Amino acid sequence: MNFLPHFPLHLNSIALLGITLLLGLLGGEVAKRIKYLPQISGYLLIGFLIGSGGFNIVNQTVLENANLFIDISLSLVLFQLGRYLDIKWLRHDPAILLMSLTESSLTFTFIFSVLYFMGSLSVIYSALAATIAIATSPAVVMMVANDVGAEGPMTRRALILTSLNNLYALILFMVLVPFVRSDVSIYLIIYTLYRMLGSVLLGWFIFLILKQLAQLTGKDKENQFILYIGGILVAIGFAYTLNFSSMLALFSLGVAARNLDKNHILMEIHFGWLARLFFVLLFVVTGVHLKLQGLLEATSIVITFISVRIIAKLTGIVLFSKSSRLTKRQSLYLSFTLFPMAGIAIGMSNVIVDFNPEFGNQLLLIITAVVALLNIIGPITTQLAFIKTDESSKIKNLEGTS
Amino acid sequence: MSLLPPFKNNNTLTMGVELEMQLINLHSFNLAMESEDFLRRMSETSHHATVKPEITQSMIEINSSIHDSYETLLIELQSIRNCITKEARQAHIGICGGGTHPFQKWKAQRIFQTERFANVSEQYGYLAKQFTVFGQHIHIACPSGDDALYLCHAFARYIPHFIALSASSPFNQGEDTLFDCSRLTVISAFPLSGTPPWLLTWEEFEDYFNRLANLEVVNSMKDFYWDIRPKPEFGTIEIRVGDTPLTVEKGAQLAAYAQTLVNWLLENPQSLSRDVYLTYLINRFRSARFGLNAILIDPISNTKQSIVDDIVTTCQKIKSQARNLGNESVIDSLIHTVNQKRNDAQELRECYSKFESLPDLVRVQTEMWMSESLIPA
Repeated sequence: MNFLPHFPLHLNSIALLGITLLLGLLGGEVAKRIKYLPQISGYLLIGFLIGSGGFNIVNQTVLENANLFIDISLSLVLFQLGRYLDIKWLRHDPAILLMSLTESSLTFTFIFSVLYFMGSLSVIYSALAATIAIATSPAVVMMVANDVGAEGPMTRRALILTSLNNLYALILFMVLVPFVRSDVSIYLIIYTLYRMLGSVLLGWFIFLILKQLAQLTGKDKENQFILYIGGILVAIGFAYTLNFSSMLALFSLGVAARNLDKNHILMEIHFGWLARLFFVLLFVVTGVHLKLQGLLEATSIVITFISVRIIAKLTGIVLFSKSSRLTKRQSLYLSFTLFPMAGIAIGMSNVIVDFNPEFGNQLLLIITAVVALLNIIGPITTQLAFIKTDESSKIKNLEGTS
Repeated sequence: MSLLPPFKNNNTLTMGVELEMQLINLHSFNLAMESEDFLRRMSETSHHATVKPEITQSMIEINSSIHDSYETLLIELQSIRNCITKEARQAHIGICGGGTHPFQKWKAQRIFQTERFANVSEQYGYLAKQFTVFGQHIHIACPSGDDALYLCHAFARYIPHFIALSASSPFNQGEDTLFDCSRLTVISAFPLSGTPPWLLTWEEFEDYFNRLANLEVVNSMKDFYWDIRPKPEFGTIEIRVGDTPLTVEKGAQLAAYAQTLVNWLLENPQSLSRDVYLTYLINRFRSARFGLNAILIDPISNTKQSIVDDIVTTCQKIKSQARNLGNESVIDSLIHTVNQKRNDAQELRECYSKFESLPDLVRVQTEMWMSESLIPA
C-alpha cells in the first residue's frame, strides 16, 4: 500500500499557494462587510496573519512560487499606470504637472530632512528613502478605485498624479542607487544609463510590435487581451535577460500605448478577473512582508516620516488646486488618495540592502514599518476619498456633498 | 384661474435651439458621469453659454439665445461649442453629439440630484435612467397660443423630415439597432409621450391642461414628452423629435429649416384634418427606422412618397420664405444633402464599418464635435 499518502500530510507549495489565494478572498469579503474598510485591507491582513509577523504558515517556497504571479501583477500595475499618463491632458491642464512636481519634491525634501537630521542616516540613504516615499502605491489606488466603482474628476487626477509620482520615483531611484557604493565609477554611471534608456526603448519597441500585431488581429477584445498579456510577459522576460528595469519598461509600454498610438489600433482593454486574481495574491504577499518591528525600534522616526509625507502631499495638492480648478473638498480628498505607499518600496529597499547590508538594514526597518502603517491607513483614506467626493458608484456618500 | 402660464405672443419669427450633449470619458469612451463637476467649472468661468443639467449625470443641455437669423444662431452655437470644448479639455472629458451613446448601459447611469429629476426617477423607475438619450429641441416663435396649436397639428405632417434628417442614433446598448434613430423608441415608453390632443384654441388647451393638473397628472408643460408642444412662457412651439446632430452646424441648419417651414405654414394656412394622425405613427416609425430611405404615406391625398422627394418638394415650396428669412443657402444645402441620402446615422455606420469598434466610433463623434480646427486660436 505504498501508494497511500504518509501521515502527517505535508502540503506542497502549490496547495499552499491555493490556500493563500482562498484565504485572501475570504479576508477581502470580511473586510467588505466592515464600514470604511476596503476589500484590499482584508487581503493584506490575511497576508500579515499567515506571514512571519503572524502565524508563520507560508514558507519561502510558497513565496518563491508566487514570485512569477507577483512579477506579472506588478507589471500589469506598471503598464496600467503608464496608460494613465495622458500627455494631452497635461498640455490642457499644466497645473496638474505643477501639482505633481510640487507634491513629489516636497515629499522628497521633507522625508530627506527627517531621515538626515533626525535619523542620522547618510545623505545617500536619506535621499533613497525620500525617493521611495515619493511614490503612491498604484496597486492600492487602482484596486480601491475598481472595488468601489470610482469614476470622475478626482479619480482621474488621483490616477495621473500616482502615475507621475511613480515615474519620478522610478527614475530618481535608478539614478541614486549606484551612489550607495563607495566606489562610484564611470562604469556604474554607464550601467545606470544603459538600464534607464534600455528599459524605455524596450517598452517602446514592444509597443511597436504590439501595434503591428494588432493590425493583423484587428479590433477584437479577446485577441487584444492576449496581445497585451503576451507583450507584458515578453517585456518582463527581456528586461530580465537584458538587465533592464522591468518596471520602467512596462511603464514606458503603457505610456506609449496611451500617447503614441495615433491611429488608435490598440484597444482599451480591462484586465478584469485576471487582474483581480493577480492583485489578491499581490496584496496577500505584500501583507506577508509587512513588519511592524520598526515601529517599536524607531517609533518617532516612523511616525514623523508618515506625518511629513502626508503634509507634503496635502500641501502640493492644495497649492495648485485653484489653478487646476478643483473644489476644496476635491483637493483635500485628492491628497488622501496619494497617502498609500507601495509594498514595492520594500523591494526597492532590498536592493539597497544588497548593495550595503549594514546601512540598508537600518533603512529597511524604517521603510517596512512605514509601509505597514500606510498599508493600513492608505487604503482606508483612498476609499474614503472616492466615497466622500461622490465618485464611487458602489458605495454611496450618504452625508451629501453640497 | 389657469395653472398654465399665459401664452407670450411673439410677432417676429425668432428661433432658439436646445442641444442635449454627451459627456465622454476619454480613455474608455463610455459616458462620463460628471455633469455636476463640469457645470460647476462652467459656472466659474465668464462665458455667455447657457449650460444646464439633464436627467442623468452624463448629460448636459446647452441653450442658444433667441435669434432672427440662421447666421447669428450658427455663430452663437459655434461660440458655445468652443467655450465648452475649452472647459472640457481642461477637465479631460469629451463632449459629443449623437442621439444615443452607442454602448453605455442604462443601468449604470446615475440620476442628477434635483427635485424635479428625483420626481421623474421616482415616478418612472428604470425609464428615467433609460432616458439617457440626447435630443435637439427647436423653438420657433408664434404670434399666439391659437397659432401655436395650429402649428403643432399642421407641422405633424413634417415631423418625419426632422426625424430622418437629424437621425444619429443607429447604435444603442452596444448593438446596431437597424434604426437610423433609435432614440425615439425610448421616449415612446413614457405615458405622456406622443402628440398633443386635437384642440385648436388656446382656451380649450388651457382647460385640458387644468384638468390634468387638477388630477395631479402634470405640473407643467415639461411633463408632456410630446413630439411637438407649445411652450407658453416662451411663446413658441418646440419641435422635440430630433436627435442631437453630430455638429452644431447641422443643428443650426435644421432650426433654419423649421423656421422657414413655420413661416410658410403661417403665410399659407392649411386646412387641418385629424386624418393626418391616421398614419402619423407609421410615418414616424418609418423615418426613425429607415431614415432617408423611408416611404411616407399621406392619408389626406392617399399617396405614398419617398421621404427624400417629400423633403425636396417641401424645400421647393418654401423657397420664397427661405429667401425672405435669409435661409436660402441653408435650404439649398439641405436639398443637396437629402438628394445624396446622407444623414448622421449613415455617417456613423460607415465609421463603424471602418473601425469595427464602438469606442472608436465615440472617439470620432467626440473629435467631430470638439474639432480643434474650428476653434479660433
